[in-house]
Amino acid sequence: MSKLSIKDLHVAVKGKEILRGVDLDVSEGETLALLGPNGHGKSTLLAAIMGNPAYQVTSGSIFLDNQDVLALSPDKRSLAGIFLAMQYPSEIPGLNSADFLKAAMNAHSAKPLSLFQFYNALQSAYGAMGIPFEMSKRNLNEGFSGGEKKRNEMLQMRLLQPKIALLDEIDSGLDVDAMGVVAKAIEQEQARGAGFLVVSHYARLYNMIKPTRAAVLINGRIAVNGGVDLIEKIDTQGYEWIHRELGIEVEKITDEAMNTVSIGACATRVAVNHGGK
Amino acid sequence: MVENESLNNAVTYVDEIPEHLSLHVPAQGSLRLALAAFKPLKDTTITIEVEEGGTFEGAFADFSRSHYHFILNVYLHGQAAKCDWHSAAIAAEDDQKLFETSLYHEKENSLGLMSNYGICENQSKLTFSGISEIKKGAKKTHTRQVAKIIVFDPQSDGQASPILKIGENDVEASHAAVVGRLSEEHLFYLESRGVDEAMAKRLITLGYLKPIEAYFSDPKTVEQIGSAIEGGI
Repeated sequence: MSKLSIKDLHVAVKGKEILRGVDLDVSEGETLALLGPNGHGKSTLLAAIMGNPAYQVTSGSIFLDNQDVLALSPDKRSLAGIFLAMQYPSEIPGLNSADFLKAAMNAHSAKPLSLFQFYNALQSAYGAMGIPFEMSKRNLNEGFSGGEKKRNEMLQMRLLQPKIALLDEIDSGLDVDAMGVVAKAIEQEQARGAGFLVVSHYARLYNMIKPTRAAVLINGRIAVNGGVDLIEKIDTQGYEWIHRELGIEVEKITDEAMNTVSIGACATRVAVNHGGK
Repeated sequence: MVENESLNNAVTYVDEIPEHLSLHVPAQGSLRLALAAFKPLKDTTITIEVEEGGTFEGAFADFSRSHYHFILNVYLHGQAAKCDWHSAAIAAEDDQKLFETSLYHEKENSLGLMSNYGICENQSKLTFSGISEIKKGAKKTHTRQVAKIIVFDPQSDGQASPILKIGENDVEASHAAVVGRLSEEHLFYLESRGVDEAMAKRLITLGYLKPIEAYFSDPKTVEQIGSAIEGGI
């Protein structure tokens, strides 16, 4: 059984330290709910595990069993069995979804898939995610609604069958039906034995996918490790009690002005930096 | 100079692109113009006039090694006239390419889309400019100009400057211009799915250029475009 181990991880974004010594483990077969106020580093942790170049690991380690994850490029991390469902999946103009999925699946497979294998896998994944198969001919995420993008992330998870899946607010912007579809996809991967590190602000998703334990990330560190009762406590009481009971001052994070870079005469979303979330 | 008055026309030029071309789309008529270039080009000026309810659909796949100036002016004279223009260009070596594609909406309910996509390598220069103008009286017009260039090398120079001129209210007009290196965010997204960096770059670049193939019906030309794209990236 594989285990992702994070030790004393420090991560900076644009020179500003966001994570200040995170210690956390996730193993296959367990689902860890990662909670914490906005801006305290949950998304940063997930992005750093996947190797997003905008997030600089300044010290600490990440291992998947005895493999040094920090020494691997993002594609090699994927091949090692890590998957990140992103909060804001990129829209790639002109890149056909099916062509992309084929490239990704072939990268994960010892020999190239036959056309027959590929279309079978694709059709069943689209069916399971309740996405019309015609969407496979559309450009990757381009013009997809928020809900379609999230389903498309889950579709990729299903096709790539990771050992450890990191889900960054996979439930934001989903209606009740879509939430059910996404939760079912997660349950199926749980049944297969995958491990999950799940960031969400809502108890609803957690109620559906039944985490095995929970951790709270505050001020760039794991402040509390515990059972799933933490989820309900935070859902009903917020984070005030952390200060009361643990004496940890929860830092107020002010949203700094986002850097919006426009190139040329004007800019599309492509050129807009989402900021260090 | 070519004049043509039948209702529905399709015109294709592969390499032998005339220096001057003037085409007329009669009321309710249609014109498909497909241009593809693989050999060095001489400057081209194209004028398209579209009458009421007429449709102009044009495409240009330019994979030539050229010092080249391309001018396209599309006049939507009539109500509900339509224009859909799409180009894909590669500038490499010491190419100097300037594409000026302009669109004039003169009457109500006309629809215009101009999309220019390119990649710019080595010491080349690639410029997309042009005007989308909505004249007084052209209410309920929709117009969009898109110009996107991926710049590959420090010495290559890409410029995208589409201009909107709007002389009427109650219209929808938008433009998008992006010039830059391959987006780190896009590369990361693809790489996070196991696709290596070289393949990720290839897929994104193909995404810029490949859609042009859909405008060509002759399989030989499509194949030629396909291999020009493969060879260019």
